[in-house]
Parts: sequence; structure tokens; C-alpha cells
Amino acid sequence: MGFEKLLFYIFAAVTLFAASMVITRRNPVLSALYLVMAFVSSAALWLLLEAEFLGIVLILVYVGAVMVLFLFVVMMLNIDVATLRARFIHYLPLGLIVAGIMVFDMFLVLGPADFGLDQFAKPQSQPADYNNTAALGQILYTTYLYQFEIAAVILLVAIVAAIRLTLRHRPETKYQDPSNQVRVRKGSDRVRLITMPAEPVPPSLTATLGATHTEMTE
Amino acid sequence: MPVEANSMIAILPEIVILTVACAVLVIDLYLPDERKDINHIVTIIGLATALGAISLIGSDKVTYAFDNSFIRDPLSDLLKGVILIVTLFTFVYSRDYMQQRQLWIGEYHVLILFAVLGMLIMVSANNFLTLYLGLELLALCLYALVAFDRDSKAGAEAAMKYFVLGALGSGMLLYGISMLYGASGGFFGFAQIADIAAAQGTDNQLLVFGLVFVLIGVAFKFGAVPFHMWLPDVYQGAPMPIVLFLSSAPKVAAFAMAVRILIEGLGGLQTDWGEILIILSVLSFVLGNVVAIAQTNIKRMLAYSTISHVGFIFLGLLAGTAAGYTAAMFYTVVYALMAAGAFGILVLLSTQGIEAEQLDDLKGLSERNGWLAAMMALIMFSMAGVPPAVGFMAKLLVLEAAVSVGLVWLAVLAVIFSIVGAFYYLRVIKLMYFDKPQLEQPLVIDGTATIAISINGLAILFLGLFPASLLQVCGVAFG
Amino acid sequence: MLDNYLHILIFILVASLISIAPPILGSLLGPRRAYAEKDSPYECGFAAFENARMQFDVRYYLVAILFIVFDLEIAFLFPWAIVVKELGMAGFMAMFVFLGILVVGFIYEWKKGALEWE
Repeated sequence: MGFEKLLFYIFAAVTLFAASMVITRRNPVLSALYLVMAFVSSAALWLLLEAEFLGIVLILVYVGAVMVLFLFVVMMLNIDVATLRARFIHYLPLGLIVAGIMVFDMFLVLGPADFGLDQFAKPQSQPADYNNTAALGQILYTTYLYQFEIAAVILLVAIVAAIRLTLRHRPETKYQDPSNQVRVRKGSDRVRLITMPAEPVPPSLTATLGATHTEMTE
Repeated sequence: MPVEANSMIAILPEIVILTVACAVLVIDLYLPDERKDINHIVTIIGLATALGAISLIGSDKVTYAFDNSFIRDPLSDLLKGVILIVTLFTFVYSRDYMQQRQLWIGEYHVLILFAVLGMLIMVSANNFLTLYLGLELLALCLYALVAFDRDSKAGAEAAMKYFVLGALGSGMLLYGISMLYGASGGFFGFAQIADIAAAQGTDNQLLVFGLVFVLIGVAFKFGAVPFHMWLPDVYQGAPMPIVLFLSSAPKVAAFAMAVRILIEGLGGLQTDWGEILIILSVLSFVLGNVVAIAQTNIKRMLAYSTISHVGFIFLGLLAGTAAGYTAAMFYTVVYALMAAGAFGILVLLSTQGIEAEQLDDLKGLSERNGWLAAMMALIMFSMAGVPPAVGFMAKLLVLEAAVSVGLVWLAVLAVIFSIVGAFYYLRVIKLMYFDKPQLEQPLVIDGTATIAISINGLAILFLGLFPASLLQVCGVAFG
Repeated sequence: MLDNYLHILIFILVASLISIAPPILGSLLGPRRAYAEKDSPYECGFAAFENARMQFDVRYYLVAILFIVFDLEIAFLFPWAIVVKELGMAGFMAMFVFLGILVVGFIYEWKKGALEWE
């Protein structure tokens, strides 16, 4: 169908544009935002393939969660883009040669000879009430049961590893505990204000106070 | 399809390891600091139970489970057994080391157990999806373990390098898998791909293209030249017990991966991957042995030694005969034992507040602890390939396999470079026996570790004298 | 099947129109008379001390990664919820084990205090 083809080319162009922006932007935050764009348009491409669940998961997981992580990490790192760039230029010629050879090789194999449109018949499009998510569910929890449970273990390891590597307790932090605050009773728990007559300050203490004072002004 | 009881029995070792890992994770939360040894005991019991489970369900028959995602055969039984035994050694050796550095915490056990689970999954994988998931589970644990001492900058740097290059390797592998998936018309089971590879062979260009990328992935995980860059840096930066683990068990899993992919999946393209393996093999044992001589850091030296051993393992695989595969498997098992022993001794040496990282730290070991020095000497002789240690037998078998398919020049080259390599192994022995120690006080290590290192060392001697039993088990795996 | 998504396509078109048009209009129509002082960063009369971008605490990373894990768990729950009736007991047990493994992780992170913002 002509319209779907048009949509494909539009979304493919957007994906390519966004992807090239990701690797050329100076500001990593901008790169991350262009990556969001690339994800959204690839989700549209998947939708065109009638893989609706995967398209939605791509947005839910990658745009929703992974990009948040990316942005946090970008903000966490203090990247000196200028030095990175200097090294990049330095290795650019070699990189280009290797990339060029790779592209040539890949074209030989993946070119029109093997992957032309006439090599593959257009798959039958599904009826309107076809549920891709249900079809996925039918095999995910039966045929791929073993892999599904392994995925759970990988997620568990991610939790353990992340906590082990980054969690540090900070006993020195002071914070308020509202539940204790509301339980304060009149009388013994509260601050008691008392009046006291002024006392003469002993000379030794004046000296220390003076010292502290000078330290603070420094 | 309801899950059959057979499937559950087939994955019994995996279930045991998973249960133990989860149990340790939860138990550790409720243990006071001084009772952390309970983790250790539970882990050891768990590993032993898994070993028992393997021997319980082991047989010569092949079992498939979970819609052919899972395979249990003599190969998987043996390799799983070796992985579990080597892990047992890891825990026993590393106890004092980790305790003295405040790293003796639950996560250490949990991450290693999950890494073991990943390896068991890899060894028993019968399609690319399962294999890849197992590999990622293993890799994820290893990245975290390399950075386990989070106050160590070297550890963080090593983990970073390992992660970036490991992810690159996984990416290559995944790309290759997707090509094979396309080339075979939508299959990722090893058996189906084997059928297509046998029928179409090199006529299917895409299949060969996928093979190249998959092979790069395998070489990355093994650390074969030119995909070895991560290995020395990771070995140098990671805590010693982690290097002990990293250098032994994952190599066994990598071997299983190579067997499943190259022999069971792409056996029809043997001539193609055989040629690539020749290049990888020559580069590995040449570069590994030559560069190892220049190292003063013993971790780096053993890292390059690992690379050279990988070259020898490939030498057996590339022969493409059952004898060659058997020899390669024998070599892998023996290598895992040698690596566990060598790094185990370094871990034990590093206990009294020092890190035995430099070659000089081994000086005069024979005066400080004669038995440990003797074991180290035995392992070094074995790595160098001096009879009667088992390393000689392993090298001999691999060379025989290469000669039998007419690759005499390759075998001669391998012999020359293993003689070059003997230099740095023998230097270690010279340092231990003929040099003055830097520290005078005798080295005392605890009883369990001594027993473990004795078993480990004497197994190397015993297998060297009587290789037939292990060789026969390896032979059964390749029918 | 794709017909079902037509209104989403229209939505995307309208949304991109609305989000792209104003900046373009603004840059075309708005006056721009920049000079050095106007362009310079302003910080209470001082020259700027540091980059406006502050380094984030590593704790944000931990929160984000724990979020991703449970986000993925939800993604696995969707197809299951649709077919659980057809799959019967086997499907129920599959998800039970999956969630069980993740609950172990949840206990761990809770007890470790990873969910606390100290």
C-alpha cells in the first residue's frame, strides 16, 4: 500500500536524522533528547510491522525509563567534551577507513542481491481485531518459559549489582521524622524556656570564643 | 504446553543454584556482621548439592527440555561439574582475603552464584536465545564483581573497560545471531541452523557473514588475540579472588559456548571457521607467550598466559575432528584447574595485609611456606607443559589433533612458542626457590585452604599421571 | 490492523505541528538585538563562578535503575494479563515464579535501605 510506504520513509528518515544528531551533538543532554526522538520514530516503524506491543514497550521502557536513567547519568558525569573531541579527531581517519571497509563488506552481503524487495514477499497484513499482545503472551509464558524466568534472574542481578555498587549509607545526614514530631506531648518532650540571670564569662572561655570567631571569619 | 516434570528434573542443578543464591541474598540481610560465615556455609552446601544433582541426573542419554531450549548431555554434565568445583575452590581460597578487606559480605556470594547460574545456563543452552541470556547473566555479574571493591579506583577502571568491551563483544555476537536467524529463515535453535548450514554451506553468504560476527563474539569472551585487550587490564584491576574466579570458570563456559555454536550449530561450516580459528590461535599463543615475558606484575603475566592457553584450546577446536574437540575440552578443564590453583595461591599469599601482585612478592616463597611453593611450582610446570604434570598431556593431545589433520607447521609453531612461554613460568619457580624473600616471617594459611590447594595441586599431578579417566569422559561428550 | 492506529497518527501530526511551529515563528518574527552584556551570564553582578549544569548525586542513578527493573516487570505483565485465562494454571505459575524472583530483589532493596532517601 502506498500510504504505508510513505509513512515508512518518513519515520525512517526521522530515525536516521535523530540518530545522526545523537552522535554529533556537543551537549550530551541534547544527544539524549534526540535519542528519545529516535526511539519514538523506531517505535512507529515497529508499529508499521504490526508489532504493536513491542512498539509500545519501546516507548514505555526506553523513552519512559531508560532515558530518565541516561539523563541522570549524563548529569552525574562531568564530561569534558572538548578533550574527548580532540581524541576523536585524532582517531577519526583510522576509524573512517575501518568503517568504510566494514560498510563495503556489509554491502556485498546485505546489498540488494540478498535483501532486495523482490527477495521477500510482503507479509499478509493482519485483520483489524488481531491482537499482537495476546499472540506474544501465548508463546512467552509457554514456549519461552525458560527464557522468561532467566529474564527475571537478570533483573534481580541488576538490582543487586546496582545496590552493591552505588548505595552508601550516610549516617551523618540529619532529617526530620514527622511521625515522631506529631507524637510530641506537652511538657516533657517540648523545649522548655527558662529564664536565667546572666553570668559573668570566665576569661578562659573568652579566649576560646575569640579564637572560634577568627576561624569563622577566615 | 504444560511444564513436564522431566523438564524440572533436567534443570535441577540450575534450580538449586538459584534457590541458594536467593536464600543467601535474604539471609544476609538478617545476619549480624560477625556471623557472615553462615553465608559461606550455605553457599558451599548449595554448590555441593548442585554437584550432587548433576551426578544424580547425569547419564549418557541426551535430555531436552522447555521446547528444546535446554539440553542436558554428557558434555553439559562434565562442564557444569567443573564449573561448580572451580567455584568451590574460589570460595575456600578467598575467605581470609575478603574477610580482611571487609568484603566478606552476602553480595559476594550472591553475585558469584548468579554468575555460576549464568554459566550453567550457557553450558546447557540449545538455542541462541538461551545462550545469549546465560551469557548476559554471567557478564552482568562479572562486571559488578570486578568493581566489587568500590573504594578501589583500579577496580572501577577495570570494570569500566570490561563493561565497554564486553558489551561490544556481546553486540557483535547478537548481530551475528540476528544474521543467522535471517539466513536460516527464522530459526535460532542450534539443530535447525545445523541442518541449514549442512544443506547450504557457503552458498548462503549470509550464513557465513553471521558466522564471522558470532565468532568475534566467542573470541571476545575467550580473550583471544586480537580481541584480548580487556584481559590484562581487567586482571590487573580486579580484586584477586575475582580474578581467580574470572580466569577459571568463565573459560569453561566460553568453551561450551564455542562447542554449541561452532560444532553443534555451524558444524557444516567447519572449514570456514577452522581457517579463522587458525589465525586467532596463532596470534594468541604468539602474542600471549611473548608479551608475558615482559611483565613484572604477576596478574598481568598470568593474563597473557591465559591468552596463550586460549590459543591452544583453539588449536584443538580448529582440527575439526572428534579427537580435536576432546583434546580441546581436556585442555579447557585442565586449564580451569591450573588457573584456579595459580590464582588461589596468589590469593592466599595476599592475606597478611599485602597484595601479592608483583613477581617479586613470590621471592623466597619456599622458605616462608614450603608446601605452597611446591604446589605453585607444580602448577607452573603444568602450565609450561613439563611432564609429568597434566599440562604436558593437554598440550600433547591438542598438538596431536592438529598434526592429524595435516597442520604440522601450526603444531611446530605452537611447540616453539610454548618453549618461549616456559621461560616465564620457570622464572616464577626460580624466584620462589632461589631468591631471598622480601618478608622473613613464615606464611601461615588456614587448614581448609591448605587442604583445598593440596587437592587442586595434586589433581594436576594425578591427572598428568593418569589422564585416561578424564580423557574418556571428555571423549564421551563428543561421541 | 494498522487502521486502528490512524487517530494516533493524526495526533502525532497535530502534536508535531503545534510543537514545531511556535519556535519557528518566534525565530522568524521576534526581534533580536543582542550585545555582549545581554548575552553574558548574570550571577548577582559577579562573573559566573561555574557551569550552570550541576553534577547530580549518584543516588538518582540508583532510583532510576530500580525504576527500570520494575518498569520492565510491568511490561512483562501486560501480555500475561491478556492471556492468563487461556493459559490456566501453567501460565499462572510462570508469572508466580517470575514475580517471586523479583520479590526477593524487592525484599533485598527494601531491607538494604535503597528506597530511603537519607
